[in-house]
Amino acid sequence: MSEQTISVTLDRASREMKLENEKIAIEVKDWDLFYGKKQALNSVSMLVPENRVTAFIGPSGCGKSTLLRCFNRMNDLIDIVSVDGEMTLHGDDMYSKSMDVAALRRRVGMVFQKPNPFPKSIYENVAYGLRLQGINDKAVLDETVEWALKGAGLWDEVKDRLNENALGLSGGQQQRLCIARAIAIKPDVLLLDEPTSALDPISTLAIEELIFELKKDFTILIVTHNMQQAARVSDYTAFMYMGELIEYTDTDSLFTNPQKKRTEDYITGRYG
Amino acid sequence: MERQEFKSHISNQLNQNLEGLFNQILEMGGLVERQLEHVITAVQTGDVALAKEVLKLDKIINREEMEIDRQCASVLARQQPAASDLRLIIMGIRIAIDLERMGDEAVKVAKLVIKMHSSQLRCNVLPGYDALVELSIGGHAMLQKVLNAFARLELKEVSSVFADEEAMDNVFKNGIQIVNDSFKESELDAELLLEMVNALRASERVTDHSENIAESIIYLVQGRDIRNMDSEKLQAFLAKLD
Repeated sequence: MSEQTISVTLDRASREMKLENEKIAIEVKDWDLFYGKKQALNSVSMLVPENRVTAFIGPSGCGKSTLLRCFNRMNDLIDIVSVDGEMTLHGDDMYSKSMDVAALRRRVGMVFQKPNPFPKSIYENVAYGLRLQGINDKAVLDETVEWALKGAGLWDEVKDRLNENALGLSGGQQQRLCIARAIAIKPDVLLLDEPTSALDPISTLAIEELIFELKKDFTILIVTHNMQQAARVSDYTAFMYMGELIEYTDTDSLFTNPQKKRTEDYITGRYG
Repeated sequence: MERQEFKSHISNQLNQNLEGLFNQILEMGGLVERQLEHVITAVQTGDVALAKEVLKLDKIINREEMEIDRQCASVLARQQPAASDLRLIIMGIRIAIDLERMGDEAVKVAKLVIKMHSSQLRCNVLPGYDALVELSIGGHAMLQKVLNAFARLELKEVSSVFADEEAMDNVFKNGIQIVNDSFKESELDAELLLEMVNALRASERVTDHSENIAESIIYLVQGRDIRNMDSEKLQAFLAKLD
């Protein structure tokens, strides 16, 4: 073995993930969010890297789901919510008056905690977003449905029963169907809000493996109350506490050597 | 347990990490093996360039240890390994420590060659030379055995390492005796004789570390901790491995 190959192997350490080496998908600057008078997010600033998995962890009520919902303006649906600060997706101001919210949500798909397929066939669930966009060409629909179901790791299990009702699938399959539905319209970003908390451990591992695969094509943000899940699936982890972003760095560093005592206390189970 | 088991998790990332760690340990072992080869030749031929190469390799080996530690810490923190996976991590850290120390010991022997060279002498003029050569060759062979066992996760050859180590202990004691006996009448500088004692001790330590690695491999494969087992029980245990 030459010294050159030796140094190549050892360079692995220096090729560790660092935010400064990443292309950025979403930029958040001084982001505040209020439910009425109550402040839920306090001056959050962060860069979300492209084609990576970024996880948000923190105790209940820390604001992680609230922040996630800001990324596709789901909070617009709540009357008492007001926001302040800057949020851009590939440079586009997500909260500008000219931003078409429906178009934004096509670029930023979302999967929720509980699988929520429509009471329609498996095929129609995945084709739904495309039909909304006015795509009715059967060949295009067929191709995209197959692509999305393969991407969600579900194709082999359902290819012979695409016309059956989606509600007949197991919980884990339903959740993968929801992921297929979300990716069918080829968004830039995928938001996952505790996507496995309603699933058994094996389905959970299957979804985690899927997340790892999907990041090749999508930028993924995941909220999870399961710290170990964040450690397993994410490249970067953000720890939030009482509406503030306490620490945000590559997942290896956060879980082996956090810089803030509050992060250390939380991930080691010392949080009171 | 078979090596294939490290590739059979649902999580591909865990498969990759464990396989990567496995290969990194083998690579580090290969570097130490190369160091020990250089030591044998340098002692026998007085090749000072080879002796200096041993010092260079040591720096790379030290970095390998840090890289293995980093990988182990990352898997522990992020993937919660259990059972044989967990044993691989714990043993990975331990084997890397033994390999790193073997590298340090090899450096001590290489320094003897360098010192002799600067006195314009060869090692073969020193008392204890034959023992040093025998220990160096024996230590290298033992390391090869344990690395092969690790690569295949097979214990067949491991049991002989314990007998080898005892034999090497005797070679060491004889070598030291010869050096001691020559102190009074030798015309050589006492400092060089002391360097020889150091080199003999270092070579003997190399064989101890191979034995430690053999113990680690047994724990990895069978989950059985045989450290500090009394000799009768150990012999009975090793007999079952053959």
